[in-house]
Amino acid sequence: MGKTADVLPGTLDMLILKAVSLKPLHGYGVLQRIHQISGDAIEIPQGSLYPALYRLEHQDLIAAEWGQSENNRRAKYYTLTAAGRRRLREEAAGWNRLASAIAAALNATSEEV
Amino acid sequence: MLKRLRSLFRVLASRRDFEAGMTEELRFHIEQYAGDLVRSGVPREEAARRARIAFGSLESVKGDCREARGLHPFDELLRELTYAVRLLRKTPGFTVTALLTLAVCLGANLSIFAVIDSVLLRPLPFPEPERLVTVFNTYPKAGVDRDGSSLTNYYERRGRIPAFAAISIYRYGTAIIGEAGSTERELISRVSPDFFSTLGLGPVMGRAFTEQETTYQTDSVAILTDAYWRQRYQADPRVLGRQVRVDGLPKTVIGVLPPGFHFLSSQARLYLPLASRAEDHTPLQRHSGGNVTQMIARLKPGATLAQAQSQIDIQNAALELDDPQAKMMADAGFRSIVVQLHADHVAAIRPTLLLLQAGVLTLLLIGGVNLVNLLLIRASSRVKELAVRQALGASRRHVVSEIVVETTLLTLIGGLLGLAVGAAGIHLLGVLGADRLPLGGRIAFDARLALVALMAAVVMGIVLAVPIAWFNLRRHPGNGLRSESRGGTSGHAVQILRHSFIVSQIALAFMLLAGAGLLGLSLKRAMAVSPGFQPDHILTGQILLPSKHYPNGADRLAFVEKLMDRIDRAPGLLSSGVVSNVPLSGNSGKSSATVKGHILRPGESPRGHYSYWVGGDYFGVLDVSLRAGRFLTGGDSRRAQRVCVVDEDFARYYWPDSSALGRHIFEGSDQRDDAEAFTVVGVVGRVKQAGLTDDTAQGAIYYPYIFRDASDIFVVARTSLSPETFGLTLQKLVRQIDPDLPVNDLRSMETRIADSLVTRRSPALLAGLFSGIALLLTAIGTYGVLSYAVAQRRREIGVRMALGARPEQIRGQFFSLAVRLLAGGTTLGVIGASLAGRAMQALLFHVPSLDFAILAGAAGVMGVVSLAACLLPSHRAARISPMEALAEE
Repeated sequence: MGKTADVLPGTLDMLILKAVSLKPLHGYGVLQRIHQISGDAIEIPQGSLYPALYRLEHQDLIAAEWGQSENNRRAKYYTLTAAGRRRLREEAAGWNRLASAIAAALNATSEEV
Repeated sequence: MLKRLRSLFRVLASRRDFEAGMTEELRFHIEQYAGDLVRSGVPREEAARRARIAFGSLESVKGDCREARGLHPFDELLRELTYAVRLLRKTPGFTVTALLTLAVCLGANLSIFAVIDSVLLRPLPFPEPERLVTVFNTYPKAGVDRDGSSLTNYYERRGRIPAFAAISIYRYGTAIIGEAGSTERELISRVSPDFFSTLGLGPVMGRAFTEQETTYQTDSVAILTDAYWRQRYQADPRVLGRQVRVDGLPKTVIGVLPPGFHFLSSQARLYLPLASRAEDHTPLQRHSGGNVTQMIARLKPGATLAQAQSQIDIQNAALELDDPQAKMMADAGFRSIVVQLHADHVAAIRPTLLLLQAGVLTLLLIGGVNLVNLLLIRASSRVKELAVRQALGASRRHVVSEIVVETTLLTLIGGLLGLAVGAAGIHLLGVLGADRLPLGGRIAFDARLALVALMAAVVMGIVLAVPIAWFNLRRHPGNGLRSESRGGTSGHAVQILRHSFIVSQIALAFMLLAGAGLLGLSLKRAMAVSPGFQPDHILTGQILLPSKHYPNGADRLAFVEKLMDRIDRAPGLLSSGVVSNVPLSGNSGKSSATVKGHILRPGESPRGHYSYWVGGDYFGVLDVSLRAGRFLTGGDSRRAQRVCVVDEDFARYYWPDSSALGRHIFEGSDQRDDAEAFTVVGVVGRVKQAGLTDDTAQGAIYYPYIFRDASDIFVVARTSLSPETFGLTLQKLVRQIDPDLPVNDLRSMETRIADSLVTRRSPALLAGLFSGIALLLTAIGTYGVLSYAVAQRRREIGVRMALGARPEQIRGQFFSLAVRLLAGGTTLGVIGASLAGRAMQALLFHVPSLDFAILAGAAGVMGVVSLAACLLPSHRAARISPMEALAEE
């Protein structure tokens, strides 16, 4: 297993929204998808995923529905709602602004001051 | 926000589905991960173990999930409830005591409040009832505070008082209803045509009376109440147009009132038009109200009582200009007063009810203080547990909400039990006469009252939690651990709080006790008053002689003489008489009389006197005392000479220095021809008419029965055995003479006296009951606090005894604590009792508001009870074994 990074506070919601925006997923699938799309870099503590999912569902950002899993078991699938899509867009934009600002700040040299 | 609430409700509604779904989802996750591990080569057992570890604590994840769905507060509440139930079950003695205290205190409050609610608070059952008023005439200087209104008043005011939208007049009465042989005497009301429109509620079927139906030739119509329609006509929908016989005359039913129609406390079953002749409402009849005719009116929207009052004053002043009686009425202090109908109807009973409510509220206060003390003691014994939990992270909010949940649970269960106590209490109050109070007929235990009671219980739970929360949060957790481990005393402040609670409890109980004592003594003094006659072995009953069959005095006299004759010959009946109004009948109307040759002094007004028309051996039956001359006898109705008897008050008022015998009196308010004068032939002792406690020297005149012009009489008979057993005999004798005549209101004279004291006896009994409960609660409270003090100081006592202290010294120490608490409580109690006594002065009869004997008695009872309550704990203290006490630590 390669090097992993901790999830920054406040970014777990964004990652979940991103993961389910691609395709309806069950909880375990969300975990794997985040692992996969982060290039195996981000590993989420398994127990902390579900409270986050329940909170997002409670806030109506994702919707849940029972369905069949790939190995024919009953599983709960999450999809992104319209509100969730809007939220993902805002958070992604905000994150990108912040990330480039921090990158710029960290790349500053003494001449630029 | 709304969506979230909806989602929360959805989850709450199907909580089981939510839990099952969550469990399934999490298990799926773990198994999925374990499956992946197995595929990567981990043995099955090991994979399952690793998957569980990687997931973390299933329960705590579930808790986080529930919290994420907003379920947290509910789970918390459930947890706290479970905890509270467990605590309460762990201390059954405390719980049972607390619940019984709450049940009794809340139940007592509920019952009294039910009475207050129905009598004072609930509006009259008419549209905009606050606009309904009554108008009555008063002649205070003639000794007549209230005299109803006259027909003349009604016809003069109708349409001429701009502040009134409607005005009406009515007269309560009785009538004999039904066909010969199966007659019944029923209560009726005669009302003016606008009566129902004034109230704003009239017949649901048929119509109201019209102006054309107010003469004696055209008044043969009747309106039935719903109850009478159902009972006598089996709710026949075609009842309109049917005939009903009233006093022998046929009347046509023209209307039926709605089921909810209740005019004040009237039990009238039928409404008839109030018929009159033109000569019944001339200006000369203006002051002829006589308390039988009453006026109601409806204020126009926006009009005030003051406007109506001033308009009536102005009209009265204008009418006086050409009234020959005007000067006399002015001397009598005549005025017409406008008051709220509801307030006026319940004015007499209001102070008593408020006093009783204050009494039960005091009881509730004592109970509440008791609970706080017991809860404080319990909290003290849990200081350590709480300190540990706070040290382990229980927040202050947590601690407070736990206390609130516990006390509210306690008061809510107590409140539920209180509902049962309250229902029983309402029944008891009914037995004690509450349903005979004005508007008392509508006292009922309903859902609204239950809701009020439970809300009060919740409020009480929250209030009780305050001192306990203060106690628990006051200290630093570390101190809690230390003070307990040292076996030291609890904080000084808490001890002072507990003791001041006991002191206030003793003071409040003392107040109740002293108040009950005042009421009891006042009742005793009232019962000791002589009514002016010998009330034992007298049967009384009322008969109405319908004017159709008994048109004049001679017919009525013939009936009376026949009846007296039969009664006197019946075995067991010793003597008999008749009277127009029996003492303590509830009717204390006065009428005027004029003494020949009496010239009114400046400022003096003609006086109202009790007037009686008597036949048979009335004075002999009652055994009234004779002061001078002779009694009237049955024969005086047959003699040509017009004679009368006056009572000592009358004689003293008009002839303070000389004899009344041989003087002449005219019936009515003016001097007339000498041929109409009555000669005074006797002076008798005062007989109480309005009530035993009425001390007014009103004066009374007794005329021979033949001069009575009204048709109702009371029969009185002296019996050899218990009077009640002769009720049927009397009824039979009356029916032998006239099969149409029922006898009503059959009661022994002693029952009449007892009934007349019901507004004194019942409050005194209730106050006694309340103070008994208060004493019990105070004993429990004192016992609890002292027992705790002993338990807490076991170690100290052990040390002292090991060093040689004698058991008496230990016992004395706790005894002296009890005495100090008692002394403090009693001192405050005396102050409270004197304030309470002053507040209830108006309800007392010949008792000062501060009676030394009562205070001493209350202090004695209080002392015995609270010292008895501390005997057991101090005895226990004295028996502590030093070895055991010291070894416990």
